[in-house]
Amino acid sequence: MHLFLVYTILGLVTGSVYGIAASGLVLTYTTSGIFNFAQGAMAMLAAFTYWQFRFGWNWPAPLALFVVIVVLAPLVGAILYGGIMRGLRETAEVTKIVVTIGIMLGLIALAQWIWNPVAPRTDQLFFGENAKFQIFGVYVTDHEAIALGCGVLIAVGIRLLFTSTRTGVAMRAVVDSPTLLQLNGGRPERLAAFSWALGAALAALAGILITPISGGTLDVHVLTLLVLDSIAAAMFGRLRSIWWTFGGALFLGLASTYILGYFPATWSWASDFRIALPMIVLFVVLLVLPHERLRGATLLRTRERFAVPTVRSAVTWGLILLVVVLALEQIMGSADMGTLTVGITYAIIALSLTLLTGYAGEINLAPVSFGAIATIIVFHLGLSGTGSSQRITLWGIVVGIAVTAVVGGLIALPALRLRGLYLALATLAFGVFVSDMIIADISPHILPIFHVHFSIFPNGALQVPPPKVGPVDLNSAKTFLTVSTVIFVLVGVGLIALRRSNYGRRLTAMKDSPAAAATLGQNLVKLKLSVFMLSAAIAGLGGILLSAESGSVNADTFIIFVSLALVMLTVVGGIGNVAGALMGGVLAGAAFQALTSTFQNLSVDHGGGGFWSVMANLSLVAPALIGVSLGRSPSGAVPDIVASYRPLWQVKWVLALGVAAELVAYLLVLTNVMGNWWLVLATAAIAIVTPAIGRAVRPDAFRTRPTVVTELPHALGQRGRRTRTMEGVPAVESVADARS
Amino acid sequence: MAFGGAQVLSDVSISVPSGGVTGLIGPNGAGKTTLFNVVSGLLAPKSGRIAIDGHDVTNAGPASRARRGLARTYQRLELFTSLTVRDNIRVAGEIRNTWGRRGRIDVGAETDRTVELMGLGDVAEREVSELPTARARVVEVARALMTQPKVLLLDEPASGQTEQETESFGKLLRQIVDERDLAICLVEHDVGLVMGACELIYVLDYGEIIATGPPKQIKSDPVVVDAYLGTP
Repeated sequence: MHLFLVYTILGLVTGSVYGIAASGLVLTYTTSGIFNFAQGAMAMLAAFTYWQFRFGWNWPAPLALFVVIVVLAPLVGAILYGGIMRGLRETAEVTKIVVTIGIMLGLIALAQWIWNPVAPRTDQLFFGENAKFQIFGVYVTDHEAIALGCGVLIAVGIRLLFTSTRTGVAMRAVVDSPTLLQLNGGRPERLAAFSWALGAALAALAGILITPISGGTLDVHVLTLLVLDSIAAAMFGRLRSIWWTFGGALFLGLASTYILGYFPATWSWASDFRIALPMIVLFVVLLVLPHERLRGATLLRTRERFAVPTVRSAVTWGLILLVVVLALEQIMGSADMGTLTVGITYAIIALSLTLLTGYAGEINLAPVSFGAIATIIVFHLGLSGTGSSQRITLWGIVVGIAVTAVVGGLIALPALRLRGLYLALATLAFGVFVSDMIIADISPHILPIFHVHFSIFPNGALQVPPPKVGPVDLNSAKTFLTVSTVIFVLVGVGLIALRRSNYGRRLTAMKDSPAAAATLGQNLVKLKLSVFMLSAAIAGLGGILLSAESGSVNADTFIIFVSLALVMLTVVGGIGNVAGALMGGVLAGAAFQALTSTFQNLSVDHGGGGFWSVMANLSLVAPALIGVSLGRSPSGAVPDIVASYRPLWQVKWVLALGVAAELVAYLLVLTNVMGNWWLVLATAAIAIVTPAIGRAVRPDAFRTRPTVVTELPHALGQRGRRTRTMEGVPAVESVADARS
Repeated sequence: MAFGGAQVLSDVSISVPSGGVTGLIGPNGAGKTTLFNVVSGLLAPKSGRIAIDGHDVTNAGPASRARRGLARTYQRLELFTSLTVRDNIRVAGEIRNTWGRRGRIDVGAETDRTVELMGLGDVAEREVSELPTARARVVEVARALMTQPKVLLLDEPASGQTEQETESFGKLLRQIVDERDLAICLVEHDVGLVMGACELIYVLDYGEIIATGPPKQIKSDPVVVDAYLGTP
């Protein structure tokens, strides 16, 4: 009984912290329509800042708390809303998601920049270990009592705010109709900024409270994920009800401590299960959420526009890419080739997003986790030979891809009934689950029926050999790069052909207006299931290649943040274009890594620290900064780049001049007259100078503004005003209205 | 075809016979679009029954109702904005061809025919978002026709059209009904079009049918004049 009380109190304390973080999520989502994936990272940053003030600089605790929770956090929240979130109206769900993911990754990089992750830091309980009192014979620390008290206060406080204050009532009105609220004298923008400030303060409080309870060690990733778990609690309240949110939070807290206390010690997976529990619960809650009404185009209309190339031009560009890569192989060292190959394999994984998100409008936040599943299958079932002659077999690749496709179908189950954000959360849950339970399954245990020793991820690192299919052996860096590029081109051209087929048109129809597609007789469940499986299969193929190229993979290879960065950079490149996938993949897998390591080397050469070290850290934050800027150009970079070079076709001799200059530069490098870095510089210079010459020679050709991102059509202007209602909020009279 | 009541609608019973155009008129907010949403399966009625061609579809989803021969257009356009006009029409035929082996159509030829029938040849390769609203509504009708429906629900298809366009649109509706032997249910505020094209008119107000009859009778019905038409 005593033990039960101990676990219960611990569970209630954890739950109450989850509740605090989750209520912040609910608050920001209901008033701004944006789900803040950065909530966990905000909490993490607050915990670090508090540590700096309290233990780094020995400020008194009340002052440190005041500055972090009441001053800094709300300020950051309000600035984020005013500076970034406000610009996200009329963008697709995926753009909104990716921007907050960008903030999350940015805050993580920032924290690692300011607080060197190698140095250990620990947070202590308020009033120390010894400040505790007894209740029913159980010791409760003052810190725990404070956490519980805060939870209760905040639950009641937010409830009161919503029901009995003018501000709170207006906040709920924002959800229903911001325009109507504005007409009645309310200020939706100010309310949303206020809720972001409050949400950030709650995140900060949660971060500061939970760190000492969960051991006190400050770790960037662990803390971020810990608070990310509160998403599950928020989902109990369907992102609306504060009571249900806190109820869900307490359930999570209690369940996780009871698992800790009562699962037999012989179950080696129990501790992994406890860590993965919130994500499992999140998935289950998503599965049982009631069916959503079909949405019409009015609610889905967005600023994103993607042009689809013809298959012929896709083939041409594919061949050009192949020639470029073959040319680069002649001048690159094998280490550089390896880096580029990693980039290309990431790009193949990114193609799964082009299909799923770009063509079909569904979202997957864990593409690399599908790659992990395929890798594990290949490791266990698809290897032949031993030692250095060990290879992945064709059979292994086929089985790996097939299993991944089936897993993809299972993960899509919530998606069959729910829309974008919820599917994104389901895939996030899957991604974290893979890390917490599947990849964490490193020590051997005995399978119940077969009585064999088995572990899914033996010793925490898998040695993955290169594949060999028929005469094609990928054991040299050059062959691997060539074959990966060929596979990228084949899958990419295949996707474009698919988009131009009747299947692709049906996907587009489903994306643009699920309601209209359904009333024309399209079976949406079947279509979503098939596209999700196909997409998972592509991610699986890319994942196998990525693992084989890396040679050795571990938990860090597949951590959810890798997936999130890839998703973000692919959206930055252009989620609707195959070229966007190439850009996203190469940026995520090769470019930033190369940049960072270059800067780090330069920094070491110059005695450490200083300018180059700043540049190295900056290049770690850079991807996030790019991601955050998406609100301005939600279609991605590729359409913009294409539009800025297109007029060159009209001044062919300038184009030819540019190509010739590039060729000369390449030949100079090939003949060792100059080094590789000069080629990079020369290419950059040519890329900038060529259009400039074109503009000087034929200014008229360049006068047309880039047309790929079209303005909202005037013809729909009548409805244009309506589209300014927030995402997910049915406009009056729309298809999705009127079930009471 | 018949359907019963939903919450915004009470005791609404309408049947739309084949080979004719049935009108449904009433003031804004009377429940016309809600009725269409209930019939096409986007909203579930609390009670009542919906049948297409004698088959009860009350519990069926929108897609299986479409397979029973139901098609509709939307008052607030629901076109596929990433596709061209031709592809919008074409994809409807391609969706139809996923229903099963029986009754497959030659999508290419059928698309060409429909584009021509609806007079969309000049804009076929344009993005739908570039079209003026009146023509976009015509694309919606064309798209619905591609599924070879038995029952076609048109939600204000002629709003935004000029008088001349409306007149020829009315003739087109008659032509379609005569050629294809289908039932059209027309919601429209253009009284001239409704009176000219329909054999039978239902008048809906506050979710209830307040009058039924041929155009002439409706025009002079004092209840209808009071609730909707107004005195000239």
